[in-house]
Amino acid sequence: MAGAFGFKGCQKIRGAQIRGLLEAKDFFLFDCDGVIWHGENAISGAAKVVNALIRRGKNVVFVTNNCTRPRENYMNKFTRLGFTEVMLEQIFSSSYCSALYLRDVVKVRGQVFVIGCEGLRRELLEAGIPCVEEADDPEATIYDCALAPDVKAVLVGHDDKLTFLKLAKASCYLRDPECLFLATDNDPWHPLSSGRILPGSGSLTAAIEVASGRKATVIGKPSRFMFECISSQFRGVDPAQCLMVGDRLETDMLFGFNCGLDTMLTLTGVSQIEEAQEYRDSEQTTNRSYVPDYVVDTIADFLPAFEEIEEQTD
Amino acid sequence: MSGSKCTRLAGPLVKQLLESVDTVLFDCDGVIWRGDQAIPGASQVINLLKERGKKVFFVTNNSTKTRKMYAEKMSAMGFNVTENEVFGTAYCCAAYLKTICKLEGKVYLVGSPAMRHELEAVGIQQTGVGPDHVSGKPIDWANVPLDPDVKAVVVGFDEHFSYTKLNRALQYLLQKDCLFVGTNRDTRLPLEGGKAVPGTGCLLQAVETAAQRQAQTVGKPNHFMFDCLAAQFGVERERCLMVGDRLDTDIMLGSNCGLKTLLTLTGVSTVAEAQKHQESGCAERQGMVPDYYVESIADLLPALQG
Repeated sequence: MAGAFGFKGCQKIRGAQIRGLLEAKDFFLFDCDGVIWHGENAISGAAKVVNALIRRGKNVVFVTNNCTRPRENYMNKFTRLGFTEVMLEQIFSSSYCSALYLRDVVKVRGQVFVIGCEGLRRELLEAGIPCVEEADDPEATIYDCALAPDVKAVLVGHDDKLTFLKLAKASCYLRDPECLFLATDNDPWHPLSSGRILPGSGSLTAAIEVASGRKATVIGKPSRFMFECISSQFRGVDPAQCLMVGDRLETDMLFGFNCGLDTMLTLTGVSQIEEAQEYRDSEQTTNRSYVPDYVVDTIADFLPAFEEIEEQTD
Repeated sequence: MSGSKCTRLAGPLVKQLLESVDTVLFDCDGVIWRGDQAIPGASQVINLLKERGKKVFFVTNNSTKTRKMYAEKMSAMGFNVTENEVFGTAYCCAAYLKTICKLEGKVYLVGSPAMRHELEAVGIQQTGVGPDHVSGKPIDWANVPLDPDVKAVVVGFDEHFSYTKLNRALQYLLQKDCLFVGTNRDTRLPLEGGKAVPGTGCLLQAVETAAQRQAQTVGKPNHFMFDCLAAQFGVERERCLMVGDRLDTDIMLGSNCGLKTLLTLTGVSTVAEAQKHQESGCAERQGMVPDYYVESIADLLPALQG
């Protein structure tokens, strides 16, 4: 889906080009980390951009693979960092969407064994999905541990308290082919604001895939499910009206491609323009799906476009 | 013995095969024992082979015991075995780091006390064995203090595997020139008592995914363990037999090293799986087709006793 303005792959756009895009699209999907903020710091100008889009009546949603906090915590962060127009209903995290998947798609009857943070468990419990208790059984060893009855799904997300015992339990539950295997996301590592990285959910999921011989169903980007969640909550969203803005080629751009959305790479995060160009110039046609339609240095580059729109309406 | 493969070893073929080899290599789990239960007849087979003048060695991917611990376990089960006849991945990994990598510096070890012991026996210091629980916040984990002497990350079986260890391994691997070695890729580790738990392959995959780097593995089917053995004991490949229960590790090792191969059915793989590889027409998969198979290594007894 090449940009409607004839810009094919990795073209940086500014000014009038951005203005045209802002006028043509009416649904904006933003990744968070590296796009609107770095850790606890909003990216300069990002709050103004987001607030302006919302005030102008555009649909704006946030699509993040970060599964460590419940949405209420995100709301606090949005407010704290100046994104005052954002409401809870606009936030789509992989943990929230995992809960929706279990509740509405799978309609799970039984317990879920969760490898993840408190934030993930909270989202599940809020959706009415029972999780196996994370009891600290001091007697349990890898040679002899009790399994919970009636476990119908194993859900893997970021877990800083991962232990070998959890891996062992997960692979036991997954011996039952009727037990589902879900992952919040498959990001191999997560960046921190300092530029350092930490192991991601993808590395934990990979371990369990090897242990169980099964492949996980991935809820988060680049899988389509989060877009389906958004679409059903907004009673139908036309992909042609959308723009996906992200910083990670293998997650955000691929997600946009998979859902038939126009994509924009912002250079304030993980991926560099050179990487995008490499994918564009690659012989392997599958690599084209990582190539963004548009590129900006930062989403603050949208700001002049708003001023021009304002000038026009004066 | 030319061309045809996956033949049932029976009748006169048994004696013929035994006379054509001077050295026999045995895998352990699923071949001579299951957990702490010896396969019936296994100790007689081993002992008779030695009496008949064959060299006998044990080649196992299990990194949780030192060669001394293996020898002790075997003696307790009635196998007439000495320490230097056992090649486990704990020992071979240390040998690999010392003789091939010529490692100067420490190892960040995700592994067992046995691995630590084998590393120290060749003069390599390690850090990391034992429990390592999370504390602090994400920003602390990314800034976890790194020992400047660590020049390699080594991953073996570790029942204390945790996110913290995975993170430390990642942080070391992000350093230029840090080596990355794994003991093996087996997906399951058999325990005493017949149970099994996720194997080293799972832990290794977690680290490889986070670091977006592949480890060099030392264990079967990589030829290093055979090279290690052959360097110490002068083994003629054409007169060597590899006996194992796993097509993708034991038989593959045999094929990779030009040895004769015998599959025993007391463990993981089946004849049907071997035949599937054979019929696949895929060149790579042919390495997993054994020359012969037996129900159990006890099937060798009549020829040895006769």
